[in-house]
Amino acid sequence: MADTKKYWKGIDELNDTKAFQDSKDVEFPEQNNSLENFLADDSLNESSTGRRDFLKFLGFSVAAATVAACEAPVIKAVPYVMKPENVVPGMATWYASTYYDGSAFASILVKTREARPIFIKGNKDFGITSGSVTPPIIASVLGLYDSERLQEPMKSGKSSKWSTVDSEISNALKTSKRVVLVSNTVISPSVLSSIEILKSSASGSFDHIQYDPISYSGIRNAHALNYGKAMIPSYDFSKAKTIVSVNADFLSTWLMPTQFATQYGETRNPDSEWMSKHFQFEAVMSVTGSNADYRGMTKPSEEESVLRYILDKLIGKPASISKGLKANADAAVTSLKISGEESLVVCGTNNTGLQQLVNEINNAVGAYGTTIDLYNELNLFQSEEGKMLDLVDSMIKGSVPDVVLFYNSNPVYSLPNGKAFAKALKTVKTSVSLNSHGDETAVACTFMCPDHHALEAWSDFQPTTKHYALAQPMITQIHNTASALESFVVWAGVAERVGKTSTLAYEKIKETFSDINGGNFDLAVHNSCVDLVSSTIEETFSFSSASISKTPKFSKGVEFVAYQKTAIGAGNHANNPWLNELPDPISKVTWDNYITMNPVEMTKAGYATTYDQENGLSLATITANGIKLTLPVYPLPGQALGTVGVALGYGRGGHGEKIGKAAYQTKEYGGYITDKNGNPKSIGENIFPMIMSSANELTYANSAKVNKVDGEYIIAATQIHHTVMGRHSIVRETTKGIYDSNGKESYNPAHMLQTIDADGSHVEKPVSEFDLWDAHPVENIGHRWGMTIDLSSCIGCSNCLVACQSENNVPVVGKDEVRRGREMHWLRIDRYFASAEEAAVGTRKDKDTFSFSAAEIAALNPKVVHMPMMCQHCNHAPCETVCPVAATTHSNEGLNQMTYNRCIGTRYCANNCPYKVRRFNWFNYPAYKKFTEINPAQDDLGRMVLNPDVTVRTRGVMEKCSFCVQRIQSTKLEAKKEGVPVADGKFATACSDVCPTNAIVVGDWNDIESNVRKSSEEKRSYQALEEIGVKPNVWYKVKVRNEENDLLSKLQVDKKAHHEPSHKQH
Amino acid sequence: MQKEAAIREPLILGHKSYHDITEDVCRPIEDKAPKMWYILFGIALVVGLYGIGCILYLLGTGVGVWGLNKTIGWAWDITNFVWWVGIGHAGTLISAVLLLFRQKWRMAINRSAEAMTIFAVFMAGLFPLIHMGRLWVGYWVMPIPNQFGSLWVNFNSPLLWDVFAISTYLSVSVVFWYIGLIPDFATIRDRARKPISKKMYSILAFGWSGRAKHWNRFELVSLVLAGLATPLVFSVHSIVSFDFATSVIPGWHTTIFPPYFVAGAVFSGFAMVQTLLLIMRKAMNLEAYIHTKHVEYMNIVIMVTGSIVGTAYITELFISWYSGVEYEAYAFINRATGPYWWAYAAMMTCNVVSPQLMWFRKLRRSLLFTFFISIVVNIGMWFERYVIIMTSLHRDYLPSSWSMHYPSPIDIGVYIGTIGLFFVFFLLFARFFPVLALNEIKSILKGSGQSYKESPDYYKNH
Repeated sequence: MADTKKYWKGIDELNDTKAFQDSKDVEFPEQNNSLENFLADDSLNESSTGRRDFLKFLGFSVAAATVAACEAPVIKAVPYVMKPENVVPGMATWYASTYYDGSAFASILVKTREARPIFIKGNKDFGITSGSVTPPIIASVLGLYDSERLQEPMKSGKSSKWSTVDSEISNALKTSKRVVLVSNTVISPSVLSSIEILKSSASGSFDHIQYDPISYSGIRNAHALNYGKAMIPSYDFSKAKTIVSVNADFLSTWLMPTQFATQYGETRNPDSEWMSKHFQFEAVMSVTGSNADYRGMTKPSEEESVLRYILDKLIGKPASISKGLKANADAAVTSLKISGEESLVVCGTNNTGLQQLVNEINNAVGAYGTTIDLYNELNLFQSEEGKMLDLVDSMIKGSVPDVVLFYNSNPVYSLPNGKAFAKALKTVKTSVSLNSHGDETAVACTFMCPDHHALEAWSDFQPTTKHYALAQPMITQIHNTASALESFVVWAGVAERVGKTSTLAYEKIKETFSDINGGNFDLAVHNSCVDLVSSTIEETFSFSSASISKTPKFSKGVEFVAYQKTAIGAGNHANNPWLNELPDPISKVTWDNYITMNPVEMTKAGYATTYDQENGLSLATITANGIKLTLPVYPLPGQALGTVGVALGYGRGGHGEKIGKAAYQTKEYGGYITDKNGNPKSIGENIFPMIMSSANELTYANSAKVNKVDGEYIIAATQIHHTVMGRHSIVRETTKGIYDSNGKESYNPAHMLQTIDADGSHVEKPVSEFDLWDAHPVENIGHRWGMTIDLSSCIGCSNCLVACQSENNVPVVGKDEVRRGREMHWLRIDRYFASAEEAAVGTRKDKDTFSFSAAEIAALNPKVVHMPMMCQHCNHAPCETVCPVAATTHSNEGLNQMTYNRCIGTRYCANNCPYKVRRFNWFNYPAYKKFTEINPAQDDLGRMVLNPDVTVRTRGVMEKCSFCVQRIQSTKLEAKKEGVPVADGKFATACSDVCPTNAIVVGDWNDIESNVRKSSEEKRSYQALEEIGVKPNVWYKVKVRNEENDLLSKLQVDKKAHHEPSHKQH
Repeated sequence: MQKEAAIREPLILGHKSYHDITEDVCRPIEDKAPKMWYILFGIALVVGLYGIGCILYLLGTGVGVWGLNKTIGWAWDITNFVWWVGIGHAGTLISAVLLLFRQKWRMAINRSAEAMTIFAVFMAGLFPLIHMGRLWVGYWVMPIPNQFGSLWVNFNSPLLWDVFAISTYLSVSVVFWYIGLIPDFATIRDRARKPISKKMYSILAFGWSGRAKHWNRFELVSLVLAGLATPLVFSVHSIVSFDFATSVIPGWHTTIFPPYFVAGAVFSGFAMVQTLLLIMRKAMNLEAYIHTKHVEYMNIVIMVTGSIVGTAYITELFISWYSGVEYEAYAFINRATGPYWWAYAAMMTCNVVSPQLMWFRKLRRSLLFTFFISIVVNIGMWFERYVIIMTSLHRDYLPSSWSMHYPSPIDIGVYIGTIGLFFVFFLLFARFFPVLALNEIKSILKGSGQSYKESPDYYKNH
């Protein structure tokens, strides 16, 4: 039977054909045949390939092989085996989502490429933040790829498994008598309900304490006293004709800068019906203070008197105030009286008493109902520091709960007595941290159960009473992390841990969504938010006066203010290299915190007031609350005399914690600077222990002692010269009064040159009529990309700078390189202080007595102008003519384009650039050891954030702003696909995309209907350094300040009067 | 033979015969080198190798090892480049221009001045190469056919003109120098006893036989080359100055630069010749050929060119004020009174004040004083370039970008290294090459020699 089976390999064998017969004994049929055929080919002998040719071929082959061997290593691109739906390689996909990190909230759009999130910007179409973001929000995308983020659960510092961790934690919860959950303010209804589930499963007591490092409880308490409900109302700066801010940096860090910056920007347009008048009373010059029309240098101890003075004057009571503040306070009162209910007074100091005074003033002017909305309260910042401080005290005294959970909270770092708390925490039986890093609090805990990164998880938020927002994941979890929402439910024993495929959070959020009656869920996800129909409960609030609570008391001597920097904030982002390298908008210092002091006082006390790459600043000790820290002293003009300021958020992770590669000081040739225990040294010092803490309030100021000590500290600043030296062709400033009643020639005169006309007589003509060169053929042909930047609207927030860094793969170079003046930012924000020689920034008081050496020194309380500066894309670009190899050339769309491949690195172009916007690759940033710790591009994971549309530049080539040419190209392609011309507004550069005040307008200048064209032809438009004739494609617009400036109006208006008659004589 | 007035100081001292000249010039080549030569050579070699080490580190790591920054893209690198090119100016001036003007005293100094020129231009040429971010693609500055989409160079760029100017200058200088060396090599060849050196020198001598035909051609070629080289004297440094003059940076953008740079170059070139020759005449017993009169002549050139340079400085200052251009005016106020005032003061003192001392006959004939001043002048000229390049850049248009420049150890290492390398070359030259154009010197012996001056019939009797 076995014999009947026949196995065959093919139909030929089955049929036993002739061909099969012939070939069956030949093992390698084709090869044999071909070789034999080849050798048997007679024509070979007749071939013309002689010995010489053979040698030639041989030589060529050897050379070719050698050359091929020298090729750079091939990096393989792995194609999709199964193409995911909606992912087109090379095409970006945008998702609407929401950002909330405990202190900032914004509706965002996230750009993903091949499923990698690479860029974040504000969502202009939906949400309550109208497209506004802050630098930390834009930079948060880098945090996703932070290789030091916890990658799996840990138990006692060792890797563990979710199953182990889960069972141990839920057992601990089941048997515990007292459980405490410490979190920052949770505004997620779904998370709150999962916390409720956890609470109900706990056997003993369960406390949930919300504690934020930066507290606004003063506002809540004051409203509790005045309106009967602890709340933070909604503020609307866009309706405020008079804004009085006492120590509130509302454009950058206070409360909801993502809302306020845009609202404020709307009121700062001198061409609209009205322009707000902004008064700022503060000690440390803040971003907001730098934009104020009037700024009073105010000590923390004087804040009360300012508020009381304004209040008393408004209600007609006699009042007095210190001489230095009287003028500004009086002006503020006058302005408040004029604008009445269209006014807004805010105070940034966290103190119930002061906030009550603010409420009194706002009530007196009638701001409630117009600029302040009590019926749409803010759910952020519900910090209960009273409860937290009680817990800490009791724990330090020995009464510790059985289980402590930390969710998005790092009190060991941010508490005034964090160290003692960490010690007490070690005695807790079960402590769990859900934080993303092994931070100060996490390392003191038994378990680390890392939450997802925000871009990996579903989330929901209710930032205000009337708004509900959703966050959706852009990417599958990179690490073995678990959503906190899920963890709470799992630990309550209600659900099972599933892992990466878990849909628990999604289901839960969907459930919440249907509970709140939000409507179509998919639409809500698409828009990232829904507005809620106002709640049915009709509360009515009415003002009732209450006796003013205790205000902060300062002892005699120096007062210190703990402020937040735009980039680092309260320290959440201390490990983000983009943010560390972001120059502070006012001091322009990177990678450090320092004591700020007025240079006038510093000179008297013998501190160094100038600094550069080799000459550092003096050191001083600052003592408060019995804690002494040594920090460099930075000369900050405008700092209230008798006060110092130090930024919060620094000094993180210096005790062996792992909070991120870029969070530490690095050495000149790479590697960390370590302390005596071998731990990398943190950047700056933590000053949370120095703030004032009363029974239930944290106030971010205190009395302090400051003593100069020996030694010098080199600081890395991107700007070491602070005034514009009266150069009117760079910065132009005027007042609202001059602007309204005078023509262009007074505040924005053209630069005139003498020439000889046809009759042979001397005449003056504007410089724009002179031209040494043939015009580039870009006018009225095709596109010509242009930009206008309104110095009136620009608030110096620095969003553009981070967005540019993110969009264009700008390398991070670290403190040592920044100090050497080698930061790589394509876009910078020049910050100019007025000097005592100037009537306004860029206008000399007196041309004849003008002193250059005096003009180098900023005034005591100077006016400030922020001037974003990037490649001006000159039509007669001086860089283009000097490049020996034509690596930088002009495109036929008016762009000055840089061809990296062609660049040989002579740096001649950078030298010849009048705007100094070109950046040279001094080292191989993506590989050189100096940058290993700080440049994310040196990290396999960090590299994922790079924009694949933009080349990563190599060592030795020049780079600069390209006007986001990759975006121009894609906009053009989109239009081409649709078969329509590029519509105005379709193209946005990264910087213009994230500008909260729309100060930057870009577009096709050849399109006469375009916004940029119209904007560039307005009366306020001028080109920086017009007289050198480089014909930029960027226009600036004169800064208009809503102030009275007699001297300036004399200079600008009279000059015109003087100029015209003399002109006629010719 | 030319007759020369007896009251003119003789150019060759002592009662030299033709043979004496040959002996004097060839002895150092044929004898064993003195100990001092080895010591100097050793020092120069160590310094030079250190410089090469610095350059290798620079090439391996990136231009960031220098002290440059976003505002100051050139500092020591291009300062050194211009300084060396300037020094390299005297050679051609002496060999070409003075030849055309039939200045006999040039014959004592032209050989070493030309050698100095060539080595200085080597050093100068190094800097534009190593200052490039990507040296390995530096050949793209050459207009050569290529396959990068047939990319061509940018003929608008003064940096490209530099490439042509420097390479032309170097090649003409080398040819000129070598042509002059041929008869002298032949003399050494004829005297050489050792087979190796005989072989070497006969290769170098190019089969020179001393026939009248050869001499005739030699003279003709010298004249033609002198004619070719003369424009180069003016073009090289003019073109170098275009790097700055055609830019838009206040302090660079100046039409006075070409003549001012040329005068400065001659000024520093002669100073360097002085420095070298004053040592060499002593070390190699050439006091009879290079003596006070030669030094005095050169000092006069230094004085004249120094005065031109001084005038240029003052003109610049005046124009910056007179132009009424805010930025231009500030650039010069800043030079004189800004943070780099000391560099400006050093430049003014060394270049404007010190050459004026040469008005005193006693001083300009003092060898010690001349040596001192020659060094002062070269320090001053280094500062001049530093002041022009660096102080213009460090505070230009936008005060936000104003910066300071501090040299890194590598900056200093590379600079010192090139001085070392220069001396390595020069010492090798002094050891193996005839440092005096001995055959040319012989041609003036009977007209300008001391013996002739004392009794015009001297050579008839000897």
